[in-house]
Amino acid sequence: MKLKKYLTLTRAGMIESLQFRLGTVVVVVGNLIYLTVVYFLWRSIYDSAGTDVVNGMTFSDTLIYLVLATALFNFMEMYAVWEIGRKIQSGAIVLDLLKPMDYRRYLFWSYSGSFVMNFFTTFLPTFIIVAVVTKGAVPMGINLLYFVISVVMAIIINYSIDFFVGTICLFTESIWGINIMKQVIVLLLSGATVPIAFFPEPLKTIVMYLPFQSIYNAPLTILLDGSPAPGDLFMILGTQLFWCIVTTVISRLFWKVSLRQITVNGG
Amino acid sequence: MVSYNLLSNTYSDNNVLCCLCTENIALQILHQDISLPCKQIHTSSHTESEVTMSHIIEIQNVTKEFKVLNRREGLKGSLRDLFSRDYKIVRAVDNVSMDIDQGEIVGYLGPNGAGKSTTIKMMTGVLEPSSGEILVNGAAPYKNRTRNAQEIGVVFGQRSQLWWALPLVESFKILKDIYQIDDKQYSDMMDLYRSLVDIEPLLHKPVRQMSLGQRTLSDILAAFLHDPKIVFLDEPTIGLDVSMKAKIRTLIHALNKEKNTTVILTTHDMGDVDALCRRIVIIDKGKMLYDNDIAHLKGFFGSYRTLKIRTAGQLSETAGMIEKDLPDFTVSSDDEWISILVDEDKKKVIDVLAGLQSSYDIKDMQLEEISTEEVIKKIYEEGVK
Repeated sequence: MKLKKYLTLTRAGMIESLQFRLGTVVVVVGNLIYLTVVYFLWRSIYDSAGTDVVNGMTFSDTLIYLVLATALFNFMEMYAVWEIGRKIQSGAIVLDLLKPMDYRRYLFWSYSGSFVMNFFTTFLPTFIIVAVVTKGAVPMGINLLYFVISVVMAIIINYSIDFFVGTICLFTESIWGINIMKQVIVLLLSGATVPIAFFPEPLKTIVMYLPFQSIYNAPLTILLDGSPAPGDLFMILGTQLFWCIVTTVISRLFWKVSLRQITVNGG
Repeated sequence: MVSYNLLSNTYSDNNVLCCLCTENIALQILHQDISLPCKQIHTSSHTESEVTMSHIIEIQNVTKEFKVLNRREGLKGSLRDLFSRDYKIVRAVDNVSMDIDQGEIVGYLGPNGAGKSTTIKMMTGVLEPSSGEILVNGAAPYKNRTRNAQEIGVVFGQRSQLWWALPLVESFKILKDIYQIDDKQYSDMMDLYRSLVDIEPLLHKPVRQMSLGQRTLSDILAAFLHDPKIVFLDEPTIGLDVSMKAKIRTLIHALNKEKNTTVILTTHDMGDVDALCRRIVIIDKGKMLYDNDIAHLKGFFGSYRTLKIRTAGQLSETAGMIEKDLPDFTVSSDDEWISILVDEDKKKVIDVLAGLQSSYDIKDMQLEEISTEEVIKKIYEEGVK
């Protein structure tokens, strides 16, 4: 059974993330602090704007969006760049390369367990709290199903980008700068820190043509829209699927070429 | 008797090794003149069928070169390096050939930086040779690393392939699924492990809580779990205490016997070599220095013995005087003994002792056969010259 050898990694990841209970607590506390800052920041933005609706979003729309974006970030972020970079620096990557499995897939499935766990430990509780506190501001319908599909694709895109950037570490042998740059670009252009609705018009257009908005903006748009027009929905999911395929193919190819470089020239 | 002096001819480029006449190989490498007729015998006497006989690993004239940037000194130099295209070629492995049979334990030795790891990485498929051919299990490992990975197991002494946070048994289960080991084989293997080591207390212990010895032991078990044809052990006993070393040697030996697994062992501990390997391969600066039975290795230096004496008075002073008396031999001293490495082809130990006794007051003496460690040390040092 082929799938079994991947699912076993999911299982391992789940057990592994259960070992670090304290880590979960720290993440939750950290988020509370972050969200407090976000709350007061946007409170003052709305207060100084003088109107209730800015760029088509009310204060609570914006806050719900950002809270869920943070929750999504905690659950999707895998720090793959760190991991790949560290393994390259220490040389431990050799052991992973010697598994009878494609490294890119091996790493993805190793993370999959923590996706599952983080979904239940961070995203779901946050989502429920938001839904309860806002009393129905989050629509509960078929959009939840689309949201799940959308998140799966978002994870794949995010992973591909991470893996691509991680591969660059093969050449640079340094991780810090590259990783920070990647993180800032992704978080900003994906709409995770500032909703894309707030972007100036030209930037908004550019951003919509980039893969990053498919990571945070797309699933959140789907989640927060109770009755999307079938055309819009198709557009969002279609774009995601497109980026899914493109980023996967590119990161695969880049890895293959790089690895070939490494086997010829040494690490 | 091939004397030790011949070693200076070691670096001839005749590294053509033969799979069938292993007996001659050492001579062949060591002495160019001998190697020529052997080469001829080679090409003529091996029929096709013999050559394709089951060598699990075949390495033919393999060379591996790396491009390394020439670094300059200082801040200014470093800045210039950013744009430099000034590469030099470093030859990590130079024209190495060897054949390894199923079930052999081969000690792969060499000083630090000799090219051992590079060779192993080529055998595992992580690196591609610059020239020459490597066949592992009949296929080039780098062309299909994933398939090759199914047939090999690897232990690096300083790293663990186990899941850090998980109990050992979970790591085993993951490996079982990754390598697609069927239930029967898995339980047979676990039974075997139980019969060899006291594995129960380890199974439910997270790897991060294990001592280095326990972890290494677990790593070795993990490497053998999918019953690979070849296991590479890279310094498995590094940093371990004496009893753990012994345990690990016994385990490797037993697994090799039981499963007929080929083991390639790199180590700096000659105890490992003496306990496990019949055959050793020595490499330095990328070139092969020796490939033969360990018994032959001692044969080279059979005429060497270490004479240890203790005299009255300051040992180091006396050692200095003895050194003047015996210019042909290496003399060293420590707190307890003066050691003289005597080449019996030149002078019998008895004669040396008699000579010494007439001029020094010898309180005590010991006679030691040369150890593998010393032989290897000599070969390494010769290599440096």
